[in-house]
Amino acid sequence: MRTPAFLGALVMVTSLTSSAPAAAHHSGAGFNSEKVIELSGTIKEFQFTNPHTWIQLFVEDDKGVKVEWSIEWGSPNSLGRQGIRPSTFPPGAKVTIRLRPMINGAPAGGFVGAKFADGKTVGRWE
Amino acid sequence: MKARLAALAVTVWLAPGLGFAQSAPGTMRPYDTLPDWSGAWQMVGGTVFDRATQTGEGGATSVGVRSHPPYNAEWEAIYKSHLERRDKNLFPDTISNCGVPAGFPRHFNLPDPYEFVIRPEQVWVLTENGPNVLRIYTDGRKHLEDQWATYTGDSVGHWEGDTLVFTTVALKGFRDKDVILDRTGLVLSDQSHTTTRIRKIDPKTIQVEMTIEDPKALTKPWVVTKQFQKMPAGTRVYDYGCAENNRNPADVDTGKTLILGPDGKPLNK
Repeated sequence: MRTPAFLGALVMVTSLTSSAPAAAHHSGAGFNSEKVIELSGTIKEFQFTNPHTWIQLFVEDDKGVKVEWSIEWGSPNSLGRQGIRPSTFPPGAKVTIRLRPMINGAPAGGFVGAKFADGKTVGRWE
Repeated sequence: MKARLAALAVTVWLAPGLGFAQSAPGTMRPYDTLPDWSGAWQMVGGTVFDRATQTGEGGATSVGVRSHPPYNAEWEAIYKSHLERRDKNLFPDTISNCGVPAGFPRHFNLPDPYEFVIRPEQVWVLTENGPNVLRIYTDGRKHLEDQWATYTGDSVGHWEGDTLVFTTVALKGFRDKDVILDRTGLVLSDQSHTTTRIRKIDPKTIQVEMTIEDPKALTKPWVVTKQFQKMPAGTRVYDYGCAENNRNPADVDTGKTLILGPDGKPLNK
């Protein structure tokens, strides 16, 4: 379980007040809508499934321990209509992801955007 | 194709033995005279059921975004209790556990694509989200006098020019606490019934106007208008297998919407 101190060490990108991540199925109330953090790691799996997609990301914490983060995104149907595919986040890919973290500090959050090592971006990354 | 469907319509019209025991042949419009609502459509705005009374910023999960429906005192108190639970993330969305339809009138308050399928004897309003199906019989049949209540109820109607007019009755409402109108906890009773008028107000907009009456919960008819915009040509509509990988079930004990980790255990119990 992540501590507030660990989250505090992460890069605070910006403060956004727009709606929760394409969370049609539930409220997204567990995520902090006021805060966006940035994580760099390795894709374990992209669950391109209903009702929502999930990006499973391995991230090393400040002690070098590998932690699995769960990052929730929109429905595969909605994302598919926007050109996203199961192959968009291939296992093993190195990526930096921006997300709205869980309020209680657990290793999960709502997807905002991602940037791959080659500079390719997905979602909101401006 | 259209000619073939029209021929089929005539065949159905002339075949009273096909199961339309309560139909009144002669009331159906020929297929070629019916409007074209083909394609995929998306609701305008967020899933706040009555956007006309929205008073603040935010969507259906934000606090205090709109004035209340014309509830009587008893149902106003029920709604306020739901709002209080909602503010604590303890009012579950009834569809979070992937088991029941959205129901009516929430059928017209869903994200993701809609399809309106028109035939002389029936109109289907299909929603990807759910998925849900609203069947509106336009073959002249009446509501059953002993119709039992369901989530989506029983809808029968007719065409007035290019406007589809129908009534919906036999609704469970919040009787069994598994039908809501939006995530603020907006609910109706099992006595609600609605008259709905649907028409295309321009080539890219379908408008749905619902006049909701509920002698148990409301002090006067409640008129809610929803609009749907046409999505790009060629838009595909897909499965919505809610139970495929639902990592956001509602806790059956507390009503809290959970977020499950990769091991299936809640991260926010």
